[in-house]
Amino acid sequence: MTLEEVRGLIPEPARDIKLNLQAVLAESSLSQAQRWGVAVASAIASRNPTLRRAIVASARREVEAVVIDDAVAAAALMGMNNVYYRFRHLVGKAAYSERPARLRMNRMVKPAGTQVDFELYSLAVSAINGCGTCLEAHERVVTAGGLTEDQVHDAVRIAATVHAAAVALDLAEDERTAA
Amino acid sequence: MLTVGDQFPAFDLKAVVGLEKDHEFRRVTSNEYPGQWKVVFFWPKDFTFVCPTEIAEFGRRNGDFKDRDAQVLGVSIDTEYVHLAWRKDHPDLKNLPFPMLSDVKRELSTALGVLHREEGVALRATFIVDPQNVIRYVDVTDLNVGRSVDEVVRVLDALQTDELCPCNWKKGEKTLEAA
Repeated sequence: MTLEEVRGLIPEPARDIKLNLQAVLAESSLSQAQRWGVAVASAIASRNPTLRRAIVASARREVEAVVIDDAVAAAALMGMNNVYYRFRHLVGKAAYSERPARLRMNRMVKPAGTQVDFELYSLAVSAINGCGTCLEAHERVVTAGGLTEDQVHDAVRIAATVHAAAVALDLAEDERTAA
Repeated sequence: MLTVGDQFPAFDLKAVVGLEKDHEFRRVTSNEYPGQWKVVFFWPKDFTFVCPTEIAEFGRRNGDFKDRDAQVLGVSIDTEYVHLAWRKDHPDLKNLPFPMLSDVKRELSTALGVLHREEGVALRATFIVDPQNVIRYVDVTDLNVGRSVDEVVRVLDALQTDELCPCNWKKGEKTLEAA
């Protein structure tokens, strides 16, 4: 299914999301690679298979394969790190933060594309998974790496909208099953 | 004997790489695995009892080493022809997925300091060498003690695992630098 067809599945009460999805993926302060990398990572983190497949397919037409590889890596690694570091900062006991995590995350510093774009995908996923320390840390790294606050803001707008589209599609799929 | 922190010596040795006719042998040099970790392990003599068990175990776990960007190299002071004969003779060694190196001039085992003083054969030594060619782990036992491949994988994991995510950022620290 194309992304356009998937947008058509979003139910009428969620029309705002349908329109936002079109808007955030069109022109923005982000490069084409950043925009689609953020969209793919966000779609994976948002876990609706229909939306994920459509966004990955669109991304394949728009950007090089390394962007998608990095987005997949960021979504997978942050799927782990958001849970782990959120545990550390929510519990807030030195006993845990002093222990080594003993979790591999080597791809964090060996992205196929640029480091700062990889961090931006990680930031978008952290916004969806809801880890405060991770958001602060990745925001610091991407702005230190030269991205503007407008770019960070546009990335998070994509993350928020893709997540909402996944929620709306889950609902639409439930309704179709019930019918 | 060389130890942790030392450069692993350069080598250029004949090796058995398979049983296919006319493709049994090739030279293996220290330069041919750029960017890879190396796990170099020695055994005293071909056709002895403890050896095939642990060599076969390194073979069975080769995928685990590949997953960790590590090349396994097995070495003894036997000639490449003896290696080949042993591989043809022993069912567990037939499909060995890594090269068996012949240090017949004892140059590598002498440079490393792993020759048994009376027997003149290599001790059961295991070296983990990082992509910068620095020895990061050494383990040597007397001639008839077998070793645990699980332990080598565990050490490799520990050496490769660092908390590289900016999520691990602690207040007051500088931004993590990409390695």
